[in-house]
Amino acid sequence: MEATVSEAYGEPISAGASPHGGELTVRFDKAVDVGRIEMLLRQARERGGPAPETVSTLNLVAILFNAAQYERAREALEVAGTLHPCRLLALVADEVIEEESLTASVSVVRSGGAITMERVVLTATGRAVRHLESAMMGLLRPDLPMVVVWGGRPHGDLLKRVVDSADRIITDSGARPPSHLAETAKLLSRGAPLGDLAWARIFPWQSLAAETLDLPNLREHRGNIRKARVLCAGAVGSEGLLLLGWLQSRIKRLEVEIAAEGHVDEASSARSTAVPRAAPMGLGHVKLLELTAPPATFTLHREKDLLLAQVKGDDDGWCAHRIRLPPETPGRLLALELKLLSGRDELYAQAAIAAAKLLPAGRT
Amino acid sequence: MPYAPEHDEVPNPLRPGLRGDSAPEPCAVVIFGASGDLAHRKLVPALYNLAIGAHLPAAFGIVGVSKTPYTHEEFAGEMREAVGRFSRTKPVDPEIWQDFGAGMRYVPGSFDDPDTFARLRTQLEELDRVRSTRGNRLYYFATPPSAFPTLLKQLKAAGLISGPFDTRFTRVVIEKPFGRDLPSARALNRLVLETCDERQVFRIDHYLGKETVQNLLVFRFANAIFEPVWNRRYVDHVQITAGEDLGIEGRGRYYEEAGILRDMIQNHVLQLVCLSAIEPPVAFDADAVRDEKIKVLRAVELFDSPEQVTRNVVLGQYAPGSVAGADVPGYQQEKDVASGSRTPTFVALRLNVRSWRWDGVPFYVRSGKRMPKRATEIAVHFRPVPHPLFGEGATQPNVLIIRVQPEEGIALRFSAKVPGERFRPRTVSMDFRYGTTFGAASPEAYERLLLDAMRGDQTLFTRRDEVEAAWKIVGNILKVTESAEFPPPHPYPAGTWGPDAAEELLVQDRRAWRRL
Repeated sequence: MEATVSEAYGEPISAGASPHGGELTVRFDKAVDVGRIEMLLRQARERGGPAPETVSTLNLVAILFNAAQYERAREALEVAGTLHPCRLLALVADEVIEEESLTASVSVVRSGGAITMERVVLTATGRAVRHLESAMMGLLRPDLPMVVVWGGRPHGDLLKRVVDSADRIITDSGARPPSHLAETAKLLSRGAPLGDLAWARIFPWQSLAAETLDLPNLREHRGNIRKARVLCAGAVGSEGLLLLGWLQSRIKRLEVEIAAEGHVDEASSARSTAVPRAAPMGLGHVKLLELTAPPATFTLHREKDLLLAQVKGDDDGWCAHRIRLPPETPGRLLALELKLLSGRDELYAQAAIAAAKLLPAGRT
Repeated sequence: MPYAPEHDEVPNPLRPGLRGDSAPEPCAVVIFGASGDLAHRKLVPALYNLAIGAHLPAAFGIVGVSKTPYTHEEFAGEMREAVGRFSRTKPVDPEIWQDFGAGMRYVPGSFDDPDTFARLRTQLEELDRVRSTRGNRLYYFATPPSAFPTLLKQLKAAGLISGPFDTRFTRVVIEKPFGRDLPSARALNRLVLETCDERQVFRIDHYLGKETVQNLLVFRFANAIFEPVWNRRYVDHVQITAGEDLGIEGRGRYYEEAGILRDMIQNHVLQLVCLSAIEPPVAFDADAVRDEKIKVLRAVELFDSPEQVTRNVVLGQYAPGSVAGADVPGYQQEKDVASGSRTPTFVALRLNVRSWRWDGVPFYVRSGKRMPKRATEIAVHFRPVPHPLFGEGATQPNVLIIRVQPEEGIALRFSAKVPGERFRPRTVSMDFRYGTTFGAASPEAYERLLLDAMRGDQTLFTRRDEVEAAWKIVGNILKVTESAEFPPPHPYPAGTWGPDAAEELLVQDRRAWRRL
């Protein structure tokens, strides 16, 4: 059980990406030694001076399925985890690599004299993957909620066990084929406390639609909405389906339609600015929402960093309302979802279950 | 919600359960006194930072009004420079500024001239057309209080104030000081309320916009463990310090009229007393919270005689000294300050809150200019243990410190055993730094307050009766201290924590000020 390779303080010993400055890394031969990891955490905390206080509001567990996935998620996890001080346990399980290996990297993040994040990255390949779950159980801080960021498909025994033990599980159905929403809906029907970054992505569309119907001269249309149509960029995505699912769950006998149009502008995603901008339109993201409430039609669409709501009746139409899209920073959506530390978002559950019913044809 | 729904109105099916932060309704913010310091240093930079965070409505505009003869472009240029200097995010982002600056207008003119307000109306209507601000107005009075009556009358005469139930909102934001004393505060309130409804009036106290001040409510009422000991049975005394290392910074004319009691005690410091001492509100809404604050103010024992004032109040005035390694002049050497001035720049008070919870627990309050450092905090000192198990003097009483500035946070001082063979306790501090711990830059107080004013949320603004109750307390003190018979303020060297008499105030009670 003992680690057979000596610890290196701040220097990599395993193949792969360089660790962060101040990272302590250990490789285990057979199984994870949780006690050794706790000891390394203590050392990491005490480095650079007397042991400072540690502030934690949750256990943030990220379950990812290869190193590349972890690298893509790393910044968002760190930023979100700093906004919500936590112990971050990143479990990277790569069964595709046959050779067995088990490595733990440990570091801390300090802020204002306190430790605001303890980070443990457990990477396992081959059959060593089976050790990760029990290692995670041993490393959880007591008395704190456990929120799991799930990087895989929303199915399987592991996820079922996670659903039973976690206070909340956050997925991103926008990063997966929309057909997987059916599996998400099944879990939600059984009461799983799921959250979804794709759901957080459509908050501005929901706000614009709701605020537009609050305008005094447009309230008369609230009871007349008959049809909703969503256009997605390039391909039908989960965000569009969730938006329609939400509308269907809120408005009785609503006819819905979803389609894809155009393509995604890769160049716009490359722009780099001093001040963060709204996220560029991605594949499958919502580009237009149209609500038909005869004799009026409401068209919500995106123009650069704004969402605009146009209303047309017997006239040429006018711009009724607009909102600014929030600036996109790493971890923003995750940090939003982490504000709900336990339990279900009932609105999301209803929307996702309704969205799943729009599959497989989705009336495209 | 700004509108009361009609009885037969279909509810909005899309509203329930939404979690995203919604921006306030479209509006135009009109800053009277736009060429002044407050607009440059605080208001426009705060609005710009709200724009960066996408908290402002996209349909938004700013109109500056003052005597300085700017054009629209000159005003926008001036504000861009101010944002570049004073914003907490730098440099100014050209793309954000393009939209933000495009919504700026300026109306030069005197507040006495009705034509100024006719032109203001024209500009606002233009913003409604071009920027979809929808007739919603937020009027910010960044002017001396002497201008308020004129502004209100002119706005009303020009038809620029809509009623509280109009579909368009009108809100008026007023900066402190709210009057000079109780009669003038009442007169000002009467005047304001002749023009607007109380629901439309936002009296700003920027301390209430600070995260830690708001956190005090969460700390007290979201944690069950503190309320049982937050009373006279367990609390020995409370110390509140609001110290600044700065002097009067060239504002001699204002300060000679105001003094520390009007400048700090009547508003900021009494708000801190209220939030420390209030009972749990029945709901977390503006009126429920403010109802409880008023009860505290009404429970503060008034000083009814010169003897009471002498016993419980110490005034000071800074003399030449050294602050942070630099020599600084005394108050009477400052610009526009009369030689022989009796204006106090420091005060220490002993207050008694005569309520079931607090009677007999002194609230020691001190505030001053040219202190050794900038520090605002509330320190709740608990009673010592009933029996000294580890020897007389071996342990110190617990202290809970709520730091408002700098480094907002909460600290708890308690005793722990020194590792070793004997039971030797020592005092340790558990420290939570609010802003940096949560990894996000805290918004400036004005950002929060402006956003709340646009949303119509009055929780962090003071109510008419709060202002008057606070003036009653301070007015009684001023009546004595501003009389010729009362001795002049004690001098204290700049860079110290006030005159020796302030130490004496606690020593006579066998206590001492916390060393900060």
